[in-house]
Amino acid sequence: MRNVRTFSALALLGLATTAHGGESVSANARHLDTGHRVYRAQCGACHGAQGEGAARWERPDGQGELPPPPHDSRGHTWKHGDGMLYRIVRDGWRDPFNKTERLTMPAFGPTLAPRDIRAVIDYLKTLWTPAQRRFQREESRRMPYPPEAR
Amino acid sequence: MTGAHRRLASALSGAAIAVLAAGLTTAHAAAPRSVPQGAEVTALAFDGASRTLLKTTADALYRSVDQGRDWTRLPLPAAARRGHIAAVAVSARGKGVLYLAGPGIGVLRSDDGGQHWSPRNQGLPGREVVALAAHADQPGTLYAYVSSHGIYRSENGGGHWRLMDRGPRTDILQLIHSNMPGSMQTGWFFAATAKGVSRSMDCFCGWRDAGGLGRGVRAVAYDPGQPRRVYAATGEGLFLSTNGGEQWVRVNAPAAKVVALAVTRSGALYAAAPDGALFRSVDQARTWEAAGA
Repeated sequence: MRNVRTFSALALLGLATTAHGGESVSANARHLDTGHRVYRAQCGACHGAQGEGAARWERPDGQGELPPPPHDSRGHTWKHGDGMLYRIVRDGWRDPFNKTERLTMPAFGPTLAPRDIRAVIDYLKTLWTPAQRRFQREESRRMPYPPEAR
Repeated sequence: MTGAHRRLASALSGAAIAVLAAGLTTAHAAAPRSVPQGAEVTALAFDGASRTLLKTTADALYRSVDQGRDWTRLPLPAAARRGHIAAVAVSARGKGVLYLAGPGIGVLRSDDGGQHWSPRNQGLPGREVVALAAHADQPGTLYAYVSSHGIYRSENGGGHWRLMDRGPRTDILQLIHSNMPGSMQTGWFFAATAKGVSRSMDCFCGWRDAGGLGRGVRAVAYDPGQPRRVYAATGEGLFLSTNGGEQWVRVNAPAAKVVALAVTRSGALYAAAPDGALFRSVDQARTWEAAGA
């Protein structure tokens, strides 16, 4: 059953290959499993175990910054190209209106390998609607993954 | 004029009278009127490449190459007469590429400084374009706000549009794109609304009320040389933020009512009164002079 679900997710993501590409399917399934594992270990505590985001994520908190947004279909992650998502995960980002000096989104470049960053982003795509995935694919044409992640 | 525009115009008009009575604005000698009487200015823009000021009314576009002293009315196609011109935008890095938009008109593009125009509406859901903004740095990127639909982006000079975002909760009356640092992507939007200024990164990662102005904003502009410096014209005067819209302070306004703003690369601020009178400040709105005087 799990294999069926994984293949469906791969097909939706355009990662599945044709019948003779069984090894690729297997590799891509592992890729998404890696992404899910990385998500649970590194992202879920802030962005929610199911990618649901923090409560009241659309309103700035007491520090003047926005809480972690959802990564599922209710958020805006799907609006961003692969390159931008990769950069934000790798380098982090500080909300310029944050009243502290801390990064709003921590940088995971020092702790995650490029393939793991890519895996977690590709895993997020399984949380989106087909229309959102199509939109994000278009955005990624102009903002693809950097060479280090290919 | 849309319902939202009419409601805001009415609110601003009443507030302007109150402000004038309170003596909060700076009395100023009348600036030369340069558009037909009764023809309210709807937008201002500055083309840094050609050092040209642009000014629109509901049905006309004017150009000045001498800082507002003399104005030339530019030819417009019939399409521009089918609606209400609400916005004029200059392509980043200039080269004579201009855009005009408004409800009933959609988007028009000129490649020769306004001599010839062609429609650019493919992908838009209609012609009710209320606001238009050119990307601060990318010559082909534009943003159009369509009533009841949202913000559309074109990355090929209006050749095709794509819905990006629903926009803030309150209807946008004017939209600008700024290259203020700190965005996740390439810049920021500032939107004038009936409830204040809304701000979003251009990744469309969420709109926030900028600084709690809490009043209708008719026009917003930023200083390209100091992008955190943002001006907002409200019915209760002119406001300046030096930190990207986090806080605002009231500054001198050149007229009881300001309906359009533009800032040049050198930081000169232009403000238009409803009757077309144009004013210029080179000291961040401390003092004003009649433009072209």
